[in-house]
Amino acid sequence: MGNFAHTPGEYDPINYVPHTESHGTKELWRTFWLLLGITILDFILYFTMPPSLFRNVVFVFFGLVKAYYIVGAFMHMKNEKINLAMCILVPTLFIIGLVMGLLYEGHALSTY
Amino acid sequence: MANQTSATFENQAMWAGGRSPFNLSYGKLMMWIFLLSDAFTFSSLLVGYGAIRFSYSGASIAWPDPAAIFNHFPFMHGYFLPLLFVSVMTFILIFSSVTMVLAVEAGHRNSKKEVSKYMFYTIIGGFAFLGCQAWEWTQFIHDQGRLDSNFFGITQQGYEHLKDVKFGDHFHWNEGDRTWGPVPFASLFFIVTGFHGFHVFSGVVLNILVWINSMRGVYERRGHYEMVEKVGLYWHFVDLVWVFVFTFYYLI
Repeated sequence: MGNFAHTPGEYDPINYVPHTESHGTKELWRTFWLLLGITILDFILYFTMPPSLFRNVVFVFFGLVKAYYIVGAFMHMKNEKINLAMCILVPTLFIIGLVMGLLYEGHALSTY
Repeated sequence: MANQTSATFENQAMWAGGRSPFNLSYGKLMMWIFLLSDAFTFSSLLVGYGAIRFSYSGASIAWPDPAAIFNHFPFMHGYFLPLLFVSVMTFILIFSSVTMVLAVEAGHRNSKKEVSKYMFYTIIGGFAFLGCQAWEWTQFIHDQGRLDSNFFGITQQGYEHLKDVKFGDHFHWNEGDRTWGPVPFASLFFIVTGFHGFHVFSGVVLNILVWINSMRGVYERRGHYEMVEKVGLYWHFVDLVWVFVFTFYYLI
């Protein structure tokens, strides 16, 4: 990495590291209890609710809520610049198209 | 209008060079982009699972109910405890995510001692999860789940038997409860959880390297603990994937 000659004080794209500060641990622990709570709720719903499409929708919704908190709080996406968040999160919308397309095709794949 | 002008100017300056547009180091940006591509890989696997499962709707021997298969718990042999063990595994992974993020937070304060301590806890969590997964695989293989065959085609008699079993009851398969069932159920179980487990294993290896480096004071001399953040991103991603494996494999 030392091959990039640069004068002191000049921006160096390879070795640049932004200054970071601690935001404390309070939010992290709150996120942990939240994730644990939702997982326990998953467990309870599995045994109290009869299997249905609605129950599956609830489980997927809970999964997305957990994903939001993991990415937002644990991976610090909330503290990143909005441009980066959009660059990473918007392409994941393509997955929704994949899900809808392939689940629809799944019926067509059926040989029964 | 003054606001608009200054905003435009700021945007131009952002991409005009001489600064990091995302205010991010090269390595961390690359980690984010790698994780995005990895998210596509995992979603292909999970969506493929969904498509194949849907293709078995209407089959004479239905896609098995996960609760009928993954109902074991260590030291509780012979009891019907579906979902309990995977919930424990989920808890282990979430908790190791917390210790990882505490290591990152300690790194922001340049606390060598705390980073090393929390990295060590995270490694323990990773090994605990891998051990649980090995146990889960052993049980599944013991019950005749194979990469190329699946003895979890549950018959009418089997479902009648399962109907009477409650959480915590004694449970053993009777003769004729099971027959050869949809093969992709077993193969996809090994492929998806195996691919995830391999990610966990790689994460543990990276965590060990960062732990050793932090103890040796490499990051202290460097002046920042960014490597902990980068490995942390990977570790949280592994946790994130497990959330969806848990949802699609065990809950639905």
